[in-house]
Amino acid sequence: MASLKDLKTRINSVKSTQKITAAMKMVAAAKLRRAQEAAESGRPYADRMRLVTSNLVARADVSSAPALLIGNGKSTTHLLVVISADRGLCGGFNGSITRQTRTELTRLQDEGKTVKLLMVGRKSADALRREYGKQFIDSIEGIQGTSVSFSDAASLGDTIRTGFEAGDYDVCTMIYNKFVNAITQEITLTQLIPAEMNVVDDSNASVNYEYEPEDDELLGSLLPRILSTQLYSALLESSAAELAARMTAMDNATRNAGDLIDRLTLVFNRTRQAAITNELIEIISGAEAV
Amino acid sequence: MAETTLLELVTPTRIMAQKAVQMVVAPGVEGLFGVLPRHAPLLAGLGRGIVEVHEDGKITDRIMIDGGLADVSGDSITIMAERAIDLGTADSAALKEAVAAANEAEADFLNAVVAEL
Repeated sequence: MASLKDLKTRINSVKSTQKITAAMKMVAAAKLRRAQEAAESGRPYADRMRLVTSNLVARADVSSAPALLIGNGKSTTHLLVVISADRGLCGGFNGSITRQTRTELTRLQDEGKTVKLLMVGRKSADALRREYGKQFIDSIEGIQGTSVSFSDAASLGDTIRTGFEAGDYDVCTMIYNKFVNAITQEITLTQLIPAEMNVVDDSNASVNYEYEPEDDELLGSLLPRILSTQLYSALLESSAAELAARMTAMDNATRNAGDLIDRLTLVFNRTRQAAITNELIEIISGAEAV
Repeated sequence: MAETTLLELVTPTRIMAQKAVQMVVAPGVEGLFGVLPRHAPLLAGLGRGIVEVHEDGKITDRIMIDGGLADVSGDSITIMAERAIDLGTADSAALKEAVAAANEAEADFLNAVVAEL
């Protein structure tokens, strides 16, 4: 049985762990509120952008549409954009992204396709580097987390577009954690290229729009923006989801530490009482022997 | 009160302006154009330039944008811009500081804003 001193040390160490996890939970909760606000304030732009584009797409001439919209007719090389976190200690957040990426990779490779990876966030990149490092086209860190900036998303979008135009890949899919609520994240796969447009045939469609410049040209300049906007909102969602996951994980850890402290304290008290009883017996039997 | 059109200016991070105005002058890629109430539906690409907001016959707001898109329909004009700065409240010293921290494209825009002030 562990000595009293050992138990005391153990209890103290669990207590300090608990303090850390409780603090991390509080920090994550505070940041989560900010991240949620950021995600919400980004929504009007994304929504309007989507509406305008789907309107435009509905009326555009499909045969002459830009390759970003209809693809380049091939689907031999796939690019997966994987958005994970830069930091750990957020429960299954990074693990599930990595797992989903693996599944997707295997599926595509079984179909005989070439797969390339663009990793955003350190954690999944680290997890996959050994196995698939050769397939990485880039690994980016530090653009998500507490401060997501649109220009980072835009330059990421430019990287993806340039690669596509150079023929490095034919299809581009993004894998990220979507923020559902504080305890649920949902892994989402979104196809970026060719752009997935759910064309809504709303009442506006009958209105005769004027375009300036011509609709094809306008669509051409709009699609890169849509790409950046999609990436931006994915980064925002993923950051909010990461913080939510961390908050939940740290809440659980704090609770577990509390349980452990209770159990250890019980053992500690029992051991102490046993030691006292032992000493008493020794004293009494010593006195009787005299 | 005179007829108005609803102006909405949104950026990826926030809604910058949302109000009923008399006229909006926007920097289209093919030249400046004004939007009055009951303008014909129009979808226009915008270049870098200044969006002028007219109320009561005067220019009340001048917002510099770095390209974007204007969606004009019936009674509203929605301007989507990736970057936008209100020239009325911008402070050139603060902007110059921001230039140092910004990346190339953003710094270029901020410099243009400073030149405009």
